[in-house]
Amino acid sequence: MVAANENTVGLSQAEYDHKLGVFEARINRGEKIEPADWMPDDYRNQLIRLIHVHANSEICGALPEGKWIPHAPTFKRKLALLAKVQDEVGHAQLLYRAAETLGPSREQMLEDLISGKSKFSNVFHYPAETWADVATIAWLIDGAAIVNQVMMAEGSYGPYARALKRICYEEAFHLKHGYEMCVVLATGTKVQRAMLQDAMNRWWEPIMMFHGPSDKVSKHTSLLVRWRIKLKTNDEQRQQFLRQFVPKMIDLGIEVPDKSLRLDKKTETWMYDDPDWSVFKKVVNNGGPVSGERVEARRLAHEDGRWVREALEAAAKNRPIPMPPASIR
Amino acid sequence: MTDTQGDVYEVFHQQSRGDPHIYVGSVHAPDPEMALLMAKEQYARRQACVNLWVVPASAILATEYADEDIFDRATDKSYRESWGYKTPKTVRATEDGESTNDED
Amino acid sequence: MTKIETCQALSGVTKEGVIDLLYRMADDELMIGHRNSEWTGHAPILEEDIAFSSMAQDEIGHAQAYFQMLHELGEADADTLAFGRKPREYRCAALVSLQKDDWAFTIVRQFLYDASEQVRLTALANCNFKPLAQLATKLRSEEKYHMMHGRVWMLRLGKSTDESHALMQAALDKAYPYALGLFEPTEHCQPLSQAGICPPEDDLKSQWESAVAPVLADAGLTIPESCKPVYGGRVGKHPPELTQLLDGLQLVYNIDPAAKW
Repeated sequence: MVAANENTVGLSQAEYDHKLGVFEARINRGEKIEPADWMPDDYRNQLIRLIHVHANSEICGALPEGKWIPHAPTFKRKLALLAKVQDEVGHAQLLYRAAETLGPSREQMLEDLISGKSKFSNVFHYPAETWADVATIAWLIDGAAIVNQVMMAEGSYGPYARALKRICYEEAFHLKHGYEMCVVLATGTKVQRAMLQDAMNRWWEPIMMFHGPSDKVSKHTSLLVRWRIKLKTNDEQRQQFLRQFVPKMIDLGIEVPDKSLRLDKKTETWMYDDPDWSVFKKVVNNGGPVSGERVEARRLAHEDGRWVREALEAAAKNRPIPMPPASIR
Repeated sequence: MTDTQGDVYEVFHQQSRGDPHIYVGSVHAPDPEMALLMAKEQYARRQACVNLWVVPASAILATEYADEDIFDRATDKSYRESWGYKTPKTVRATEDGESTNDED
Repeated sequence: MTKIETCQALSGVTKEGVIDLLYRMADDELMIGHRNSEWTGHAPILEEDIAFSSMAQDEIGHAQAYFQMLHELGEADADTLAFGRKPREYRCAALVSLQKDDWAFTIVRQFLYDASEQVRLTALANCNFKPLAQLATKLRSEEKYHMMHGRVWMLRLGKSTDESHALMQAALDKAYPYALGLFEPTEHCQPLSQAGICPPEDDLKSQWESAVAPVLADAGLTIPESCKPVYGGRVGKHPPELTQLLDGLQLVYNIDPAAKW
């Protein structure tokens, strides 16, 4: 494993510039960077931050929806929701592994999530209050996430791109499952329609913030775009999301809870009043309505499971390694 | 902080008999048997599968990307390929040993 | 003995027996699947979180398949049966409705339960009621992974650290009397065995004991002596945990049972 900094410490400016040139030329040719390659510290650290937050978001994203697995009202919904939340845990597993190729261990990353040292997506700091929240999350938040992930899957870092390809493939069903639930509620009883509108009203603002601060204030974006970690700015992603989903919401008779939102027909651009980014900042720094509850749930899973992991490790030391199956002997 | 995540195993997946085992990703596990058990659900819960391998990541020796150029071919190696040869479509030997043919 | 080829060909006490058996199996699967699904997002290891969630899906899927067969036998549709009954109308053993508790109890309960399912499905795979024999044969393939999973976990946690051994033994002491309750006989058991559909519960229990004893011994665990089986579930007498479970299970369904969800 290449430790952070090891690659750039002790290099003269000329050596550094040369290595940076080779690195950037590779990216500009559309080639991927692999774990053992030389990379600037900034590239490594930005990627660790990004993948770590992404992994945290998957594992914390399992919580609001997971809470509703026991309450799902039909076999189909119960199985689908269980499979969807399972996928999210699976995606966290893939992403923590991708981040590990850059240095930090999974143990360290899980600890950092619990201690509040590392962040997770703003939307998972809010509670899922009704069954319609499950539908809204699965349709719109997964929809927003897919916009982001399809783009990131074309990014320059090999292990992250590989993990994202698998994630995008698996998430295709999440979106359809969410849309189907929203259609059923939107075309259902008066109570169901009201439930859905209520969920949309509460989730709209967090969803508008999901892709991160607007380009005017985002401090990371330009470097990330240059190194093809990100291929679109936050505002470009938000715009793509709005183009894709707002017409469908209107078709379902959902009132989009943002009075300022309107389509500029000439440029095919959705115009809106910028959200209050100080709220976003507060929320992602664990100041959201259920931030504490989320972190506590992860802490409990980690701490309650410690004796299990320690017992397995002790057992592994005392066990002979089993023979491989005959097929590979 | 003690690390309780176990070792990393690389997972290889065979979709159907006759196919090669293809690398699909890794799992953390305390021992090989558990790695197989865990790999089955993380990597084969959707796609068809008839066989899985797990290999401790520490057992893999890899080339360096810095040495990628060892795979370059500096001279013409087309003689290793079928397209490196030109053969006639039809051949008829003549009496004086000359042959007439249509180039392929 | 003649084979019964279709659901329509069932009648009289045999049909009543099959319906009772299917309710017992469906309710067991639904409740244990439900309890296991409570681990999704909270398991001790990320990889195991995924594996255990798959097992919960298998169990809930099996419940759905049994309910669908009940529907073919003239009962309500699968969703109504699973989500729309009163507590006393469920036929699950108490083992499956108990709270998820810690990981030791979860693993022990799951192992004991899977072994019982394995024994029962093996018997049913050769039974005289063809649709059930076919279904049992199909479901057994998923049980195989559950048994591998259970064995691997039991052997490791049972014999590893002092702490893990103590937790596993305590879990076994707690779960075993409830597990015996999986074989609570009902009035329908005799007609079922006479028709060559399901062996007497006592026979299944003996087979189950022979299946679990060697694994428990290998895991360094001691079967609690002379424990009394916890009965009642098969006739609708449940511990309070089931009411609590059903409150959760039926929460959204009960908002409007006639609505499409």
